[in-house]
This record gives sequence, structure tokens and C-alpha cells, in this order.
Amino acid sequence: MSSTDKAEQVRLGFLAAIETRDRAFVGGLLVTDRFGRPLEFQCTTPVKPNRTQELLYGPTLVPFILGELLGKTLLDRLQVKPHLLFVDRVETLQVRSVATIPVLWALERTSKEATDKPSVDIGLNRCVFADDFESDRDVIKKHAAVFANDANLREPLERVSEALKETMASAGARVA
Amino acid sequence: MTSDVIDIDAQSISLDIKSDIYSSGANGALQRWPKVECTSIPALLKASTVPSWRPGWVRPKTVKLHFPEAVQFLPPQQPAQSGELQKIEMAKPKKKDGEQEPKKATRIKPPNDALSLEDRLFYILQPPLETMLAGQELIMPFEPFPHQYEGIAWMFSQKSALLADEMGLGKTMQTITAVRLLLRSGHIRRILFICPKPLIPNWQREFRTWAEELPFTTIEGDTARRKMIWNMPGVPLLIANYELVSRDLDGVPEEELPKFDLVVLDEAQRIKNRDSKTAEVVRGIPRKRSWALTGTPIENRPEELAALFEYMGVVPPAATPDLKQLSRISSIYVLRRTKDLVMKDMPPRLDRDELLELSPAQKLAYQTAEKDGVIKLNEMGDEISVQHVFELVLRLKQITNFDPFTGESAKLERLIANMEEIAASGGKAILFSQWTKVIDWLAARLTQFNPLVYHGGVPTPKREPILKEFKENPSKHILLMSYGTGAVGLNLQFAGYVFLFDRWWNPAVEDQAINRAHRIGCKSTVIVTRFISKDTIEERIDLVLKQKRQIFEAVLGQGETTSYSRSLTASEIFGLFDLKARSGKGMKKVQPVVPSPDEAAA
Repeated sequence: MSSTDKAEQVRLGFLAAIETRDRAFVGGLLVTDRFGRPLEFQCTTPVKPNRTQELLYGPTLVPFILGELLGKTLLDRLQVKPHLLFVDRVETLQVRSVATIPVLWALERTSKEATDKPSVDIGLNRCVFADDFESDRDVIKKHAAVFANDANLREPLERVSEALKETMASAGARVA
Repeated sequence: MTSDVIDIDAQSISLDIKSDIYSSGANGALQRWPKVECTSIPALLKASTVPSWRPGWVRPKTVKLHFPEAVQFLPPQQPAQSGELQKIEMAKPKKKDGEQEPKKATRIKPPNDALSLEDRLFYILQPPLETMLAGQELIMPFEPFPHQYEGIAWMFSQKSALLADEMGLGKTMQTITAVRLLLRSGHIRRILFICPKPLIPNWQREFRTWAEELPFTTIEGDTARRKMIWNMPGVPLLIANYELVSRDLDGVPEEELPKFDLVVLDEAQRIKNRDSKTAEVVRGIPRKRSWALTGTPIENRPEELAALFEYMGVVPPAATPDLKQLSRISSIYVLRRTKDLVMKDMPPRLDRDELLELSPAQKLAYQTAEKDGVIKLNEMGDEISVQHVFELVLRLKQITNFDPFTGESAKLERLIANMEEIAASGGKAILFSQWTKVIDWLAARLTQFNPLVYHGGVPTPKREPILKEFKENPSKHILLMSYGTGAVGLNLQFAGYVFLFDRWWNPAVEDQAINRAHRIGCKSTVIVTRFISKDTIEERIDLVLKQKRQIFEAVLGQGETTSYSRSLTASEIFGLFDLKARSGKGMKKVQPVVPSPDEAAA
């Protein structure tokens, strides 16, 4: 297989979550080809932590729910597996601890957030990845070659958020 | 109670013992010495707590959305050679610090009639149109305008759609691109395009330009060959004309009709009469999506929209929605933009009416013909028909072009004067006339401008080379065209001048003609000159048409200038000569809205 063929087959995952007004979390994961064309989409049912869980998990609750609960479940259920996973918030980087692929938090290039964390520039975005996985840098750079200079990696995440809102609206739930 | 002290082993114990009775009933005075025993117990290794808690989380359920398999087409064998064609590249304005701005994103919205969540998510999860197109590596003559992106996104999601953009805004390109994206996404696999016969070459050319990798087959040839093509598997795109569709599919049992994912009607006003055979046959074609294209969604009566809506499947068969209902349905299923609204950056079109005095010889011929004609009409009494009046109108109009005996022509004189200026500046002009005879007559008298002739009398294979030469040869300054052949579907935006040598009955057709030059891609102002002979039938017709101008503006809103035909009715034709329309057949409309090439060539 030529390198061009491999580039053609690079698949990207976009994991986003929304929170409903009653503090439940819903996650969605979209897998696309390198042009952003959707290949598969999965979303979860809402997950709502109880009071005990809130107290005992403390500040680790949201990273746990987004990363290990929603993120891992979605990754496991996917039939089309991505090579890179982009997430929409820093808490979801937690999914890297249970995933086998690099996980990147896509930020605007000009964003002042997480400047102390390791990152790579892809398209129009600065992509932060988990501290403990510095070795991901090489893998990310290898796949990043397929992106156009004007690629906006936050855009597919917005699609996922919109799809989750549409799903929740159709189920009668109110989104926070 | 007394208070004494007893010494026991030299230890003093107070005998002042409280003797209050406790609430339990025990008497404190009776308490005994406490007996204390000491034993040692081993320390526990782990502390145990009750109750215990373990973080048990139930894994959430997931819901999966399937996307259709994408369809791959073979890339075109040869890259486009034309110097004008270029791979689409999105504009990349740079910020001061060198970073790129995110490109504009036109999102595809789910259609209003998409009821299932799966359908709605399918559209929501599609990438912005700009991203999709960039990923398709389209070859385009120019980057689509914002209104075209919106149009493509709208069509992409619509099962029933009427694209009614004003002429020149790119309905063809929007349709082809939407079809291409739907094909690529695997949402549709078999499409039928139906258009008027003269426009078949135009659609073929447009498909080669906008979707060069897309194989198409045209329905043509003898009956056996056509039958074979209709049923040929593996052809994604069929192009057919209305006449052949009507001929080939009429009477075919429903189960034997070819099935399509999408049927597109170009110049869809052809089915405005819902009882016509063509309309019935087209409605009977099995299909999942129904699109219609027309720049004139309403030609005479708003009810004509109902016929298109019936084809689109958004009103029940034979329904007669009122204006309010039509307006509501239109807001969902009709997309119409006018140049005034969306093409603010396009160079303006300057219209000027040249009122010309007839030359003396023309005037004499005209007055004689009119006088004799009216007398003859009045002598006919009740035998008179609209056709008789119509013939007189045509005869008079021909005299306003030139005097048949002397060849004198005020219009020609003015045209030559204008053309000398245009040719001197290296410009190009298109001239339209109703008659091929007039065009040939003009060609012989405009030789200094190297005229090219394009009308129904020119064989079809020779037409494309004529257009090419007009475009590429700087010495060819004028293209003489008939309304019927040249008014629709051609892209001549490099011509800066349009002359309407005589007037067509229907200003919508005139606008179509003008829009060959004044369309997307034109670089400078287009100057349109209408020759109108003073004190003649031309001036009277112009007045009648202007008076009708406002009738349909209320239906489709502000900015409407072309979506109605304003054709003359029979009574108005009679009125041109102060004749009263006769009853019965006299009220029938006398003029087709879109002239056919045969008509123009006649």
C-alpha cells in the first residue's frame, strides 16, 4: 500500500459531550474520513451521577464520566475505528488513559488555555494532548500530514454537539 | 443524712454519697464499689466500616447512525485543458499575524419535512459545503458565490425542491453540484434529468464542466435504442427531453417504468398545465426525490405553482391550494433569489429604450399596411380571430425592422452607429431578433463587424463552434441570435452589449436573452438597448406590457421582475387596434411563453 493510499484511509474521531439541565451527560462520537465526510456516529444515553458519586469523585467526576465512561464506551462500540481522537474540552482528555490512540483537545490557535501542556499545531488549531503520553507526538505528527492548512478541527465537534442537542430535543430533554 | 468518715487502709472515702433517686428509679445511695477487670485484646490489622460503598457505574447504552456507502467514480482520463478551468480553492485571507481565517462554513440543514431523527442527524453531521467541495477536488470555472453554496446545501437536503432563482444566478451549477454530492455520499444512485430538447447540448456541456467524472447518457435514437437506454443498468445519470419522455413512458405499466432516486425537471413550467400528457407522464415516473428548476415559477397565474407542487408531491393530486396555502408551501419548498438581492457585487445592467422614428419609406409602408390591415379585419366581421390580428401585428413589426421594398431601416442605422463605437473599443455585442430572416438580412449589412449567426436554421453541430469563435476571435464583434435558439441556457458573459432589435411578446423571454450576457462571471456593466419604433405597434405593445408589470409582484415578493410572463392575452391583442375581442376562442392565449427554435426559424 502506498503512502498516498494510507493517507486516504486516515480516519478521525470527534468526541463531544453536552450536559442536560438536570446534570446528566450525553456523549457522541463521529468518525469521518480526512475530508470530514461522516463514516459512523454513535451517541450514548444520558448518564447522571448521583449525590454520593458527586461527593466522592469531587473534581474528578466530570473527567471520569466524559473520559472513562462515555468516551471509552463509545470507542469500544465503534465499528469504524479512528486513528486520532479529537475532543472538545480538557476533561475529556482523560479518555486517553483507557484508549490506544492519541487524544487531542482542539483549541483555537490563539487560545491562552493550557499553554503549559504539550501540543501540536494542526490546520487552524492548537491541539493539546495528555501530559503522560508524550510519545503520542510522533503518531500525531505522522497523521497530521493529511490535514490542509486551513482545516478547522473544531468544526466537526460542533456538528457532534448539534447532533446531540437534536437527539436530546427529540427525546424531550432540555439541554443546559 | 449524716456525714461520717471511715478509714480503710489509710484511704479516705467520703461518705457523702448522693442519695437522689435517678430517673431510672435506682437509688444512688445503693451503688456498690465498681468492679474493674482488665484484659488485653489484640489490635485489628484493618479498620472496618459499615456501610461500605463501591463506585459501580452502569455503562451507558449507545445508539448508532449508519451512513450510506460513498460512491466512487473513476477520475476523468485527462485533466481539463482549458485555461479558464481551475481546481477550486477556497479563499484564504490571512490575518496580520500570518494565521489563516477559518473558511466560511455553509451548513446543511435538515429539511422541514424530515421527521425521523436518523434523517435529521444525517444532514446535521454532514460537513460544511465548502469542506465537502474542497474534498471532492471539483473543477470549476469559478468559486461558487455564497448564494450558490446556500442553494446547493438547500437542494442537498430537500426531497422536494423548486429552485426558482432568477436567470443567471447559476441554477444549473447548483443543481449539478448538489446531484454530484448526493451521488458521492451514496444517497442517490440513479437520476433522470428532463429538459427541453434545445437545451440537451447545454446540459451535456454543463455536466462535462461541473462534474466531469460523472458519466451520463442521453435518451436518443430510435425506439428500440431508447428502450434499451431507459432500462440500462449502471447508468447513474440519464438526460432526456420532455417530448421523448412523454412518448416513451406514456402508457407503460407502472411496474415496468424505470425507477429513479431523483428526477429533475429543467424549465419546469413545461408541466404547468397539470392535465397535459407531459405533466401526467412526468408525475407517473417512480422516484424518491422530485426537483424542479425554473426562473419563471409563475408565468401567468399563481395557480400554476400548484401543478409544480403536485409533481413535487407536496400537495395532493388535483389540489387547488389558495394563495395563502401556496405562499406557505412556497416558503418550505421553493428557493428563489433575485440578482438584486444576492448579487450586489455583480456589475449593474443598464437598460435603455431607444425610441426611433421610422425612416420615411418605413413610415409610408407601415401606415399603408396598418390602414389596409385594419380595414380588412373590420370587413371580416365575426369571422375575425385572434390569429388574423396576430398576423397583422407580425407584419407591422417586420416593417418597423426594415422596409421590405427599399431596405431602409432606422434601427439598422442606429445599430451601425453603436457598433462602430463598440468595435473600436474591442467590445462584443449580442443582438436578438424574433425572425431568422431579419438576422440573415442584418448579417449581410454588418459585414464590417464580422457578424456570426446563431439561430434555428444553423445545424446543431455547427452551433458550439460559432459560440467558441465569437468568444475567442477578437475580430468578431457581434453575434446575431434568435430569441428561440439563443435566449436560454447559453453563457455569453464576455459580451458587454445586448441589442433587442425587435421585441418579443414576453419580457420574461427578453430577460432570458439579456441574461446570456448579464450573468455570473461578467466583468463589467452590461448595456442593454431595446429598439422601439415610435408611434408604431411596438410602442403600444410595450405600454400594455408595462401596465401588466405589477400583477404578480405580490405573489413572490419584492424584487420580482422576471417571474411572470406578461404575455398578451387575446383581448389585449385585439385592443392594439381598438378591436373588441370576439367571444369563445378569442380569449385563448395566443403566444407561447418560451419560443421554440422552429418558431423562431419560421
